[in-house]
Amino acid sequence: MCGIVAYIGDGQAIPVLIDSLKMLEYRGYDSAGVTIFNDTLETYKVAGRIKELEKVIPESVKGNVGIGHTRWATHGKPETRNAHPHLSSNISVVHNGIIENYLELKERLIGLGYEFQSDTDTEVIAHLLHFNMNQEGGRSLLEGLKETVKELNGSYAIGAMCNENADMIAFARKDSPLVIGIGKGNNYAASDVTAFLKHTKEVIFINDNEIGLLRPDSIEIYDMEGNSVSRDTETIEWDLEAAEKAGYEHFMLKEIHEQPTSIQNTFAGKLSELEGNVTLEELYLSKEEIKRLKRATIIACGTSWNAGILGKYLFEKLAGIHTDIETASEFRYSNPVLCGEELTIAITQSGETADTLAAVRSSTSYGCRSIAITNVVGSTITRESDSVLYTRAGPEIGVAATKTFTAQLIVLYMLAINLGRARGVISADEAKDLIVAIKRLPGQIQKVLSRKDTINECAVQFADKRDYFFIGRYLNFPVALEGALKLKEISYIHAEGYAAGELKHGPLALITDETPVVAIATKGHTYEKILSNIKEVKARNATVIAVADDDDTEIEKYVDVVIRVPSTHELLAPVLSSVALQLLSYYTALAKDCSIDKPRNLAKSVTVE
Amino acid sequence: MKAVILAAGEGKRCRPLTLTRAKVMLPVANKPILEHVINSLVRNDIKDIILVVGYKKERIMDHFEDGVAFGANIEYIEQKAQIGTAHAILQARKFIGEEEESFIVVNGDNIIGPDAISDLINGAEGDATVLTCKKDDVTNYGVIVAKGKSVKEVIEKPKTLVSHLINTGTYLFRQGIFELIEQTAISTSGEYAITDTLQLMIDNDMDVTMTITNTEWLDAVYSWNLLEANTIVLGDLETDLEKGKVEEGVDLKGNVSIGSNTIIRAGSYIVGPVVIGDNCDIGPNVVILPSTCIGNNVSVASFSYIKNSIIMNDVRISTHSNISNSVIGSNVSTGPNFITEEGKDLLIQIEKELHSAKKLGTIIGDDADIGGNVLVRAGNMIFTNSRISSGKTIAEDVPADSIVI
Repeated sequence: MCGIVAYIGDGQAIPVLIDSLKMLEYRGYDSAGVTIFNDTLETYKVAGRIKELEKVIPESVKGNVGIGHTRWATHGKPETRNAHPHLSSNISVVHNGIIENYLELKERLIGLGYEFQSDTDTEVIAHLLHFNMNQEGGRSLLEGLKETVKELNGSYAIGAMCNENADMIAFARKDSPLVIGIGKGNNYAASDVTAFLKHTKEVIFINDNEIGLLRPDSIEIYDMEGNSVSRDTETIEWDLEAAEKAGYEHFMLKEIHEQPTSIQNTFAGKLSELEGNVTLEELYLSKEEIKRLKRATIIACGTSWNAGILGKYLFEKLAGIHTDIETASEFRYSNPVLCGEELTIAITQSGETADTLAAVRSSTSYGCRSIAITNVVGSTITRESDSVLYTRAGPEIGVAATKTFTAQLIVLYMLAINLGRARGVISADEAKDLIVAIKRLPGQIQKVLSRKDTINECAVQFADKRDYFFIGRYLNFPVALEGALKLKEISYIHAEGYAAGELKHGPLALITDETPVVAIATKGHTYEKILSNIKEVKARNATVIAVADDDDTEIEKYVDVVIRVPSTHELLAPVLSSVALQLLSYYTALAKDCSIDKPRNLAKSVTVE
Repeated sequence: MKAVILAAGEGKRCRPLTLTRAKVMLPVANKPILEHVINSLVRNDIKDIILVVGYKKERIMDHFEDGVAFGANIEYIEQKAQIGTAHAILQARKFIGEEEESFIVVNGDNIIGPDAISDLINGAEGDATVLTCKKDDVTNYGVIVAKGKSVKEVIEKPKTLVSHLINTGTYLFRQGIFELIEQTAISTSGEYAITDTLQLMIDNDMDVTMTITNTEWLDAVYSWNLLEANTIVLGDLETDLEKGKVEEGVDLKGNVSIGSNTIIRAGSYIVGPVVIGDNCDIGPNVVILPSTCIGNNVSVASFSYIKNSIIMNDVRISTHSNISNSVIGSNVSTGPNFITEEGKDLLIQIEKELHSAKKLGTIIGDDADIGGNVLVRAGNMIFTNSRISSGKTIAEDVPADSIVI
């Protein structure tokens, strides 16, 4: 997704901006640019990587104020002229978001004599700002920006500079993330705290419909009526250092290996084995409210949606709550029948996923209670939900979600147990068994990781295949979906995840001796069923790779390759199988020499619709 | 100054514990040996550290990451084949940089105190300096024959007693060492050893010196030596109960430290030095005696008794267990009434040779799954990922991945 950065202070702006842009690389981008005040505004931009941007900036360019941008094309192709910052004579603007009424504004501005250089929606902001600053005998940068954003429909986080007011940077936000970093004599703004975390951990999260100014020694924030807004700073506890690769070739592999620790952080202090319960104080739901719940709707996209399917099965089994799972981008445009007594559970790693945010807004507008499951403290969803359950997995840089997925699963287990105990659906003893199994996961994941060489061999063996199928039943169905999603994301192999029983309703026609089929066949009440599905595909000459328990002595008879995972409670097996399949995808992509941490066309957090 | 830490080897003599991690990652006082080494360097303001890794490198990288949490800046370099210390040091050449006049080399699998590092820095002279310490029993070590500070000969594992000064494997080198390493011939054991490089320097009349330290330097040759090292290092433990929770009715004596989200339940009796990590659930009614360290995410159920032992991460000890003078690997679970017998002056066979252990219960490798009412006879080891059914008495070593029915 696009990312904006800004810096003003007593240091050189270019190295700070370049470094910040690099920290936003994980969001995905195709072009980048900066504007710097070097006696006058100078702008440099490229369609390409940040390294190329560095090459086009002459060393002679110095300055203490600047804005920068990484662009992920939505309106207009990835070309230099479409890269930000966008200019209007003495004004430079960077923007993350989408301006819905840009065509209409563009026509008006063309009518006023403005010439457009790009196909982007952002350029209208630059010209409109120029226009507004020259009305009524001349407005200040801040006043001009305020008038401008009043005319914008859509989402934006904006940074703007003006030649005549080069001691300040103006910003505004609506529906796109924007955070300010406060240093000593240096201030920062960015779409994401990681951009400036190296310089300061003191931050202010800007709210929707807020606008303001960044100066070297001060921050001013106003609402749309022009009233000054006073905001407390927050301290970010993440270490930027954790965001470095530390010996690993890729962030993804590092993040896969972090899982024994990251899931421990997720459940730390919440599991009470002796009482057979999970303490979730941050849920803010009384026992009576929990008992009254009739329905829950899980809303998510991508990997989080896969986690949500497991969540549905868990809420139904452990808490006896009818649960629907919805894709956020569909939910918004369908006609959800909501009466206000439902629980909405939104799962989003970044907390900024535009579709999920919009879906939550629409469900809360019916009076539904909302719970957000997210990894990012202070993200937009945390401010728009009634309660927040943090996955506490730490920053994830690889575009393919790994540790945040397993952390989401752990939160869903904990939530389901908590609700199930309050509703009296499961006993303390049943809960205790689950809790013990959760506590054993870190050690068991370590055991899966120690088998990386076997998984690597399997990956290499099939890396040249064009298609892959992943099949599973019940709790292993979301594992199959996530396994397929991981593989296609990073190795570009066409992969499909199917509920194993669905195979004969169509996809079986695609199975040949050239399609490896990964069958998730951990022990459980669907084990016999998946064995017969395995026989079905074997009869079509497919090569079958099974993910199976250590205890399973039968499976070798039916399949070609077995990936072993430690035996655990039936409900917990998806966590271990998922880790094994993450490794399978990673090593497949490695064998194919793909760009693992930044797959083509993909972005980490999708902040546009 | 920069430091190169050699952390690529397995440490076969510490099996089964090293089947799943390198020896540098074995815990002493709840920290990997390597962490003690890094702390000592950082205390001497040596923060740029090059870790030469190889065997099970992921476990090392996952723990230390880029070093910032330890006050250091760590670069990793992989030694793909473990063919000697000289070869390992050569791998670090590009990270040392030509502007550095001298640098330190230290073994990652010996506990070395900060004072020993400053003894080396302050006593360094000539073209290369070896840090030595005095030991009564020098079997298993390389010794240094010196005249004054000048080293005359480096002898690996001498058959006769020629010197009580052992080579700690800690050196201060000058830039020129890299060229000398390149000239070092492969030894009869098929390795490029840095001691051969030193001998080469001596033979060429270069100035190789040694300096003695009288401070902490500990080597756990066999896994049971970890218990001795643990006792020594825990001697410096300070009480810290702030991060966890101690229920009413718990009796704590001596120095006890517990990590975040750890709970010590009522009726437990703990005599320090005892260190317990994060996310542990201890008790009710558990007795823990000196000198014990317990890792992260460990549960010890009621009426269990633990004495002078090392319990690693993710272990579950069931009720009524008795564990003494033992090392329990990660992710081990035991059923109720698990008993380790303790014995004195044992002879333990490792790779067909007998080695003596003064006092030992058992050593259990990672991922072992042990049923209830199991008794392990003193000095017998249970290897990685084995399963033992309830009611068994273990009177011989259990190999890895085996099932005892």
